Amino acid sequence: MPGPASKAAAIIGAAEANDIGYPQTPKSSLTLHIEAIKNVCDSTGIPIAAIDGIFSAGWSPQIAEYLGLHPKYIDTTAVGGCSFEMHVHHALAAIHAGAINVALVTHGEMGFSQRFTQGKGTGRPGGAGDPWDPGTQHTMAYGLGGAPTAYSHALNRHMARYGTTQEDFAEIAVVTREWATLNPRAVMYRKAGEGDLPPLEKGEWGGGKRGHTFGGPITVDTVMNSRPISWPIKLLDVCLVTDHGGAVLIAGPEIASTSKTPPVWIAGAGESISHWNMLEMNDFTETSAGRSAAAAYRMAGMGPEDMEMAMIYDSFTVTAGITAEMLGLAPAGEGFTLWKDRHAAPGGRLPINTNGGGLSFNHSGMYGMQLLVEAYRQLSGTAEDGGFSGDPGKQTSARSCIVNGTGGSLSTTGTLVLTSD
Amino acid sequence: MADYTKPIPSPDPVSQPFWDGAKEGKLMLPRCDDCNRCHWYPRVICPFCHSMNIEWVEATGKGTIHTFAVQHNKGLVARGWADDVPYVSAYIDLAEGDRMLTVLKGVDPKDPESIQIGAAVQIEFEAASDDVHIPFWRPV
Repeated sequence: MPGPASKAAAIIGAAEANDIGYPQTPKSSLTLHIEAIKNVCDSTGIPIAAIDGIFSAGWSPQIAEYLGLHPKYIDTTAVGGCSFEMHVHHALAAIHAGAINVALVTHGEMGFSQRFTQGKGTGRPGGAGDPWDPGTQHTMAYGLGGAPTAYSHALNRHMARYGTTQEDFAEIAVVTREWATLNPRAVMYRKAGEGDLPPLEKGEWGGGKRGHTFGGPITVDTVMNSRPISWPIKLLDVCLVTDHGGAVLIAGPEIASTSKTPPVWIAGAGESISHWNMLEMNDFTETSAGRSAAAAYRMAGMGPEDMEMAMIYDSFTVTAGITAEMLGLAPAGEGFTLWKDRHAAPGGRLPINTNGGGLSFNHSGMYGMQLLVEAYRQLSGTAEDGGFSGDPGKQTSARSCIVNGTGGSLSTTGTLVLTSD
Repeated sequence: MADYTKPIPSPDPVSQPFWDGAKEGKLMLPRCDDCNRCHWYPRVICPFCHSMNIEWVEATGKGTIHTFAVQHNKGLVARGWADDVPYVSAYIDLAEGDRMLTVLKGVDPKDPESIQIGAAVQIEFEAASDDVHIPFWRPV
């Protein structure tokens, strides 16, 4: 029996900024937000002025001011890449409670182009600050910095506990790349300079239709031979660093029926946290996705056996592998088999990360919005005719999708069960 | 010590007894007077039973490797550590319970298969400044 908030609201449209990936001309994080907001309002026919709730990872006051809006609900939850799945949960609750009618969840992040602004104003949440913060004080001496330096500890523990191998996790990167070769907006869509493609200009990063130096299909050997980053994690176990803007609108049934694009119902939603600093992670082979998924399935009155596709946060191959286990899609220790046995691949029984994932499509630092946009595109049918981007991308006839975001150091998770009419 | 180029933590009032112990080569841990469990990192409240009766006890300095990784990428590690790559970071299960992050001494980063999860390790301290001695761990 579904919970009272189940399907009280739907995602009624989703869109991205005009330039994502490696834009030739950098745009600010705020511009990436605004382009996506304009695009989603154009595609749904819902005017920007109708938005009365704003949800973003820290940006809500700036977005409201920039658009001249006076929202009745302001949510700035910023707990890493899964923040956007949590925003959908919060928006569902706010609409169910009658507090607002039209919720905007929005994202803009120049993960790539921040190199042109020396990293200032990138839209990333959190950051260093208080030297007395225990997570800083009791870890800084050891020099760990970027996310790969942390997640590798989880992969090693998983291998020791379950006897899994680096090759097992490489399968996730290989299949995810296969999906990217079907998505013209994916950074790793194809290899630059091949066929009738002109070679990249000096200083040009490429990506998408232009091709990427390392784009196109890969094999397990390609992953295994990529350079070590934080053993046992190698370069091709790691997500991209790109620009992205995205926005979704959420509303109840009445407004949903007026949208030009179809509703994708929020059947279930849940969120959880196991720790913030990896120092406090109890079991390195489990995440709080077990709890957030249980809550989402309970609200939906559905289970993992009812899911026809999955969008799983793949900041690293290990993130995707462990999360598949936590979502109940595979037994503990066997998440990677969904990819290795090609269930997750094109034509498989459970397509996973049909956009090419954070590994090969786009990952701006926080990837939760990309998950939402792709889940909406597939379930709504708007990928069939190319949607606003003009690129067709129907990969599955799935009518249900589990979406899971992971944030921090395998710390926070938000899970959604989405269904189409 | 004057040429210590790696990040040096800033002790705070809550953690000061730990850093005082480190200067004397002792591992001091906070322990709850009510449930008797040690915790790490130091807190003013027990994370297990939420008692605020915390006392400091000298620990054995013994532990085991919970998991580890080999840091290869200069751009992802803090200034001062970049010249040390590859180096081995690890989480240590303390004999008294709970877990610490560290860098392992006396291991070969180029041969990660030779490092065993579950292996016994012993703490040691390195003087980074007059006030701050940093704990590291080494297989025994």
